[in-house]
Amino acid sequence: MPGRQLIMSFPVTATSHALSEYRERGGYGALAKTLGQLKPQDVVKEVTASGLQGRGGAAFAVGRKWQVVQYDDGQPHYLIANADEGEPGTFKDRWILENNPHVLLESMLIASYALNVRNCFVYIRGEFDLPYRRLAGAVEEAYAAGLFGRNILGSGFSCDIVVYRGAGAYVAGEASGLLSSLEGKKGYPRNRPPRLTVKGLYQRPTVVNNVESLSNIAWIISNGAEAFKAVGTPKSPGTRLFSVSGHINRPGVYEVELGYPWMKFLDEDCGGVPHGRAIKCVVPGGVSSKVLTGADISNLKLSHEDLWDAGSTLGSGGMIVIAEGTCMVALLQVLMRFYHHESCGQCTPCRHGTGWLHRIVDRIVAGDGRSDDIERLYYISKFNDGTTICGLGDAAGYACSGILDKFRDEFEYCIEHKRSKFGGNLECLRSS
Amino acid sequence: MPEIFINGQAIEARDDQTVMAVAREHGHFIPYFCWHPQLSVVGNCRMCLVEVEGRGLDIACNMPVAKGMKVFTNSEEVQAHRKAMLQFITLNHPVDCGICDKAGECTLQDYHYQYSGQRSLSHDQKVRSTKFYNLSNRILLDNERCILCLRCTRFTHEVSKSMALGVERRGDTSNIRPVEDRPLSEDPYSDNIIDICPVGALLSRQFLHKSRVWFLQPTPSVCPGCARGCTVQLWHRKPEWKLKALDQRQNESIARVTPLDNPAVNGPWICNKGRDLAQVFERVRADEPMLKGRPVTVPAALDEARRLIGAARHAVALVSNWGSNEELETFKDKLGEVFHCFVKEDWQPQPGERLEDDLLIRADKNPNTTRARELFGHAEPGFKDGTDLVLVWGEGFDFARLPSRARIIFLNSYLQPENGHADVFLPVSIQTERHGHYTNFQGTVSAFEPCFEPKPGVLHAEDLIRALAAPARGHP
Ligand SMILES: Cc1cc2nc3c(=O)[nH]c(=O)nc-3n(C[C@H](O)[C@H](O)[C@H](O)COP(=O)(O)O)c2cc1C
Ligand code: SF4
Ligand code: SF4
Ligand code: SF4
Ligand code: FES
Repeated sequence: MPGRQLIMSFPVTATSHALSEYRERGGYGALAKTLGQLKPQDVVKEVTASGLQGRGGAAFAVGRKWQVVQYDDGQPHYLIANADEGEPGTFKDRWILENNPHVLLESMLIASYALNVRNCFVYIRGEFDLPYRRLAGAVEEAYAAGLFGRNILGSGFSCDIVVYRGAGAYVAGEASGLLSSLEGKKGYPRNRPPRLTVKGLYQRPTVVNNVESLSNIAWIISNGAEAFKAVGTPKSPGTRLFSVSGHINRPGVYEVELGYPWMKFLDEDCGGVPHGRAIKCVVPGGVSSKVLTGADISNLKLSHEDLWDAGSTLGSGGMIVIAEGTCMVALLQVLMRFYHHESCGQCTPCRHGTGWLHRIVDRIVAGDGRSDDIERLYYISKFNDGTTICGLGDAAGYACSGILDKFRDEFEYCIEHKRSKFGGNLECLRSS
Repeated sequence: MPEIFINGQAIEARDDQTVMAVAREHGHFIPYFCWHPQLSVVGNCRMCLVEVEGRGLDIACNMPVAKGMKVFTNSEEVQAHRKAMLQFITLNHPVDCGICDKAGECTLQDYHYQYSGQRSLSHDQKVRSTKFYNLSNRILLDNERCILCLRCTRFTHEVSKSMALGVERRGDTSNIRPVEDRPLSEDPYSDNIIDICPVGALLSRQFLHKSRVWFLQPTPSVCPGCARGCTVQLWHRKPEWKLKALDQRQNESIARVTPLDNPAVNGPWICNKGRDLAQVFERVRADEPMLKGRPVTVPAALDEARRLIGAARHAVALVSNWGSNEELETFKDKLGEVFHCFVKEDWQPQPGERLEDDLLIRADKNPNTTRARELFGHAEPGFKDGTDLVLVWGEGFDFARLPSRARIIFLNSYLQPENGHADVFLPVSIQTERHGHYTNFQGTVSAFEPCFEPKPGVLHAEDLIRALAAPARGHP
């Protein structure tokens, strides 16, 4: 196991997701402690002190987000767990929803108590089936046990929860797009300002956090901020769930203590690359984070600071391993098709830029590349950076320029020879 | 009052202002497509990107002012980004200006010339979409030209409240579409979206391919469609573009009507009825004076009218509430003692027409009831026994209601059956042929100007009133 475990800390069985077994593991103890001993501001203080960073992609400090909400401003507040999990390569929230749904619910109750939230929501990816059934089952169990509703555990604190299923748009995972969708509108992201913590759902102060970010709260309250900070590195406290896929022998979801050596994780925990192939590159945290080559990552640790130094990020924890022999042009084509398909179409550069990127890469793959195509791909990426309403436009540009930066020669080859240097291959081949 | 700097100029801004608003107030133009002074901010076109020292680029239309911020609206970065935004906007745009009604007054054309001038950088096929999509009985939509600024959808949600439009699909296949159960044809303000569309995506069926806009000139006028009295522009051919090869009626017709922005009365909007004024003004005109249906010269008709007035014991006048302030005042001044005067309502609400709402439309479907009633009172027309002469000014009064013995002098502009029943009939000019003012229901006075010459034989009511009051023979 790659270091200590806070969330995946028990053996998964057919019944380990149930309330009874969660209780046996000490579940809802943090809630009892919160309601019995802590004031709301104590909870916010503890979470802030823990240094917990968001696990949805941007690694924004959870406590700092919470502090913006004024407990007593006389308005309704909302809390939303972002379970849309749409980032390609990312399937770690799904593990929590399927196998440990009560840790999310308990954490949301604590957060709601801290933020003066009467109604909280889980916005769950529409395609999720088992995760949805497990979560819905857990909500039912929790209501039956008096953990939601009025006067929870006799404390006077009341809170209700609604599980809302998305309709299949990646952009509805973006926090403000999510709120638009939750309000019953098209999932269009919104311009900031105002920040969502000032005007979010129904124009009220709203906290949107990723499922995994929230799921750490119960542990932090039970064990304290100091204990949490003792896990991981000083700049990256705690653990992260990585969903590992691609050319790897043991794909799956792993909880990794931050600061753990990356190559050790891939070679020992994940069983290395099939057929003994070398790593060509890795998408560290969802395709919106820039790729790093095998050489780039050889001495890196899995921590926010190491990734930032290397010019990328841990993003959403969706790690895709890509072996030698893979065609990066074909890979970029897949990515560009995705962004083109998922652009909500609201803002000019992304609406047209994603399609433009996609068409150019399509043409290069088809053997019709032109000498100015690479320059043009950079141009489109550049003018999507910082010019769009949400991060999708920027991400499409990063994904594109990230791959071009590292593998420009493959694109030049493909344009010049009208065919891929690696036969358009996306599989992990037995032999070259 | 935070002080901010725009292109080096120190400006005292108000706390609640955006950089866009401050820049406009102080003459720093920032280009925009989606922003509109009367609509909420969506910030989706990204044309208004400006540079803030230390913060990089962001959109001005959604940027609150902050003390000491230094904004640059025309830095190299800003210019490069504007060019790029125009590249993106035109990437899938058909650029079919040659057959587009908006050409000549299109924001995209203007900005392209001003900020880019660059050819498209793309070698690939454009995304095709629907052209001439049938939005309503009044409006066509060209989705290829649409730049998705969402002004039209916002208009139907925030101003007219019909909620008739939305966006279907996503990405570069997004399409503006009508909402199924809320037809745009039932929105009496729908045509405003044609004006606010920054490109030629929304097309008036009435105006479709009727004229290039540079052949036309606007004349300021006032809509007589209801007591709101919206200020409008009547568009007609410029004198140098009146071509012999064209049907004469086309040279002399109202090509289209658009709002004349007027914060005191109608803002930048008018209702669809105001767009259809040609249907009122271009009805068949009466252009010959008549005595009991027999055509006569103007002097002969005037003589007979004066004789009737001189001989009358009890004369009643039904004064038109389509008369201008000047005409009504002249009538009061010259003939107010001669006639017992009542205000007549020339127009009544038509079947199917919206009676009244809280945006613009008023229940009184006449332009100048306010001034007419100020001068002639509120009494309903009534005829005492012994009424032996009635002067009817304007259309819309049922002659069967007139006392059977009374002689009739009738002033009207249109060819109508009553004309021939009058003892004296005198054709008068219409609003598009003369100067004048109307006073709307709030007491606001607005001016209208002539766009066409009246035909010979057609008199201005004001001249006619003076002539009728003149003691001796004379020509008006
Ligand atoms: C295009 C796009 C898609 C996103 N999708 C997700 C998602 O599926 N799940 C998620 O938790 N965050 C997603 N995010 C990030 C959210 O906007 C937001 O930052 C996050 O939910 C905040 O939670 P955290 O601070 O706990 O990480 C997405 C962001 C963008 C720009
Ligand atoms: S960046 Fe793309 S996905 Fe995000 S709001 Fe703009 S068009 Fe929509
Ligand atoms: S039709 Fe015109 S107003 Fe409506 S979104 Fe398109 S460009 Fe904007
Ligand atoms: S609201 Fe009244 S005055 Fe204004 S355009 Fe319509 S009919 Fe004319
Ligand atoms: S005018 Fe600011 S984004 Fe369109």
